Amino acid sequence: MQFKFFFSEAVNSLFKNWVMSVAAIVTVLVSMFLLGIVMILYFNVEDVIKDLRDKLEIEVFIKNTATQDEINQLGEEIQAMPEVKTVYFVSKEEALDRMRESLGENTDILDAMSGNPLPASYEIALKDPEDIRMVAERFFDNPIVDNTPGSDPPDGVKYGAETSERVLRFTTMLLIGLTSFVALLTVASVLLISNTIRLSIFARRREIEIMRLVGATNWFIRWPYVLEGIFTGVMGATVAAVLIILSNNMFSNYIRENIVWLAVQDIPILWMTVIVIGGGAIVGALGSGMALRRFLKV
Amino acid sequence: MIKFENVTKHYDMGNVGLQDVNVHIERGEFAFLVGHSGSGKSTFIRLILKELEPNEGTVTVAGRNLQRMRRSAVPYHRRNIGCVFQDFKLLPNKTVADNVAYSLRVTNQPARAIRRKVPEILQLVGLGEKMNNLPDELSAGEQQRVSVARAFVNHPSLLVADEPTGNLDPDTSVGIMQLLYRINRTGTTVLMATHDREMVDKMRKRVIALEGGRIIRDEDKGLYR
Repeated sequence: MQFKFFFSEAVNSLFKNWVMSVAAIVTVLVSMFLLGIVMILYFNVEDVIKDLRDKLEIEVFIKNTATQDEINQLGEEIQAMPEVKTVYFVSKEEALDRMRESLGENTDILDAMSGNPLPASYEIALKDPEDIRMVAERFFDNPIVDNTPGSDPPDGVKYGAETSERVLRFTTMLLIGLTSFVALLTVASVLLISNTIRLSIFARRREIEIMRLVGATNWFIRWPYVLEGIFTGVMGATVAAVLIILSNNMFSNYIRENIVWLAVQDIPILWMTVIVIGGGAIVGALGSGMALRRFLKV
Repeated sequence: MIKFENVTKHYDMGNVGLQDVNVHIERGEFAFLVGHSGSGKSTFIRLILKELEPNEGTVTVAGRNLQRMRRSAVPYHRRNIGCVFQDFKLLPNKTVADNVAYSLRVTNQPARAIRRKVPEILQLVGLGEKMNNLPDELSAGEQQRVSVARAFVNHPSLLVADEPTGNLDPDTSVGIMQLLYRINRTGTTVLMATHDREMVDKMRKRVIALEGGRIIRDEDKGLYR
C-alpha cells in the first residue's frame, strides 16, 4: 500500500473542489451534531425513566376493620411472592405522622378531626417494575383491602399505572422520532458526499480511464477517493463533537443552576466523541464508495 | 505473443468490428496494423487489452486466454502491455515525471525504484530536461514521447500503439518511430495501428491489412499499398 501517495492524492482533490468539500463537511457536521444531541438526550431520558420506574411501587391499603392476624397474614403472603424486592408496613399512626409532616404548618385540619381516618398500608417494591401490574392485580379481590365498593380498577391498590405508562410511551416516541430524524440526515449526508465525490470523479473520468489502462487495480483507483470521503466525514464530525461537548456543558450547567430537581447525567464524553467521529468516517467512506461503483466497471 | 482465433466482434448497432479474424504475432515481432478508419484496427487493439470481449473466438496474449481470465486479473494483464494512443492519454494535472511514475506506482514499486527509473526512461526518450513540466507545456511530439516512456517504463513484453503518429507532423513522427524501433530491438513485441503510408513503406516490417473487419493481407516486410 502506498499510503503516502493515496493521502496526497486525496488531500489535493479535497482542496481542488473546496466548495463542494465544504458543503459535504457541513452536512456531516449537522447530522453528526444531531446524532450527538440525540445520544445525550437518550442517555438522560433513559436515566430519568429508570429512576422513575425504580420509584414505582404498589400501595395496598387495608380496611380499618381487618384484624391484626389478617394483616400479618397478608404481609407474609406478600413476602413470599418471588417478584417482591421489599415490603414495608405503614401503620395508621405512621400514615398520620407522614401526613402531618407533608402538611407542615397547616395541621389545623388534622387537629379538627377526631380519631385517625387514615388506613394502614403495605408498600411493595418489585425486583422488576415490568411486573407491577401483574402483582397489583393479585390484591384486587382481597377482602381486607380497602376498596370503595364498585370502583374499577379497585382503588384500594395504587400502583401508578397510568403515569408510568404515559411517561414511557412519550419518551419512547420522542426517542423513535429523534432517531429516525438522525437516520434520515445520515442518509442525506451519505448521498451528498457521494455526489460531491462523483463530481470530482466525473471531472477526472479520463484519468480513471488512463489509470485502468496502465493496469491500476480497482482498489488502487478507489483508495484516494475513499480517503477523501473519510477526511470529509471526519472533519465534519470533529467539529460536530466539539459543538456537542460545548453545548452539553452549557445546557447541563444551566439546568443544574435553574431546574434543580432535574438530575443531569454526566455523559461519557470519550465514547460519544469516538462514536460521532467514527460515524462521520463511515458516512464519508460509504458516500465515496457509492460514487465510484459506476465508474469502476471493467 | 498475440493469437486471434476465429475472432468476431459485433457492436450493438450491428456494426462489424472484426469478422472471423485469425492471426498470430510472434514474440519480438514488429507488426503494422493498417486500414481505413472503421476497418477494425482499434477493435483489434481493445480486444488485446481486454477492454472488449469478442462475440466469438478466442484472443490469447502472452499465452493466456483472455476469455478465461477473471476480471480481477485484468489489471495485472494490462501491466504487461504498454499502450500508446493517438491522443497521448496523459494525466493533465500531473508533471511529466509523475505521469511516468504513475504506471510504476500502480505496480507497487518502491519509491526508490521510481526515483531511479523515471529519470532514466525520460533521458532515453530525450525529455530529461522537462521532467517537471506539465503535459500542456509540451509540444505534441514531446507529449507522445512521455506516453511512450510511460508505456515502456515497466519493460512490458508487448507494446501496442494506436495511431501514435496520427497527430504529429512527419519529422516528429520519425522520432517516435525510432523510439518504437529501439524498444522493439530490446525484445519487446510491438504492434502499431496506423495509416501513415510513408512510415510503413520505409520500415519494411510485417503488415496486417484490415478492411471491413477482415484481414485482407498479411505479409512480412510488406508495404502499405
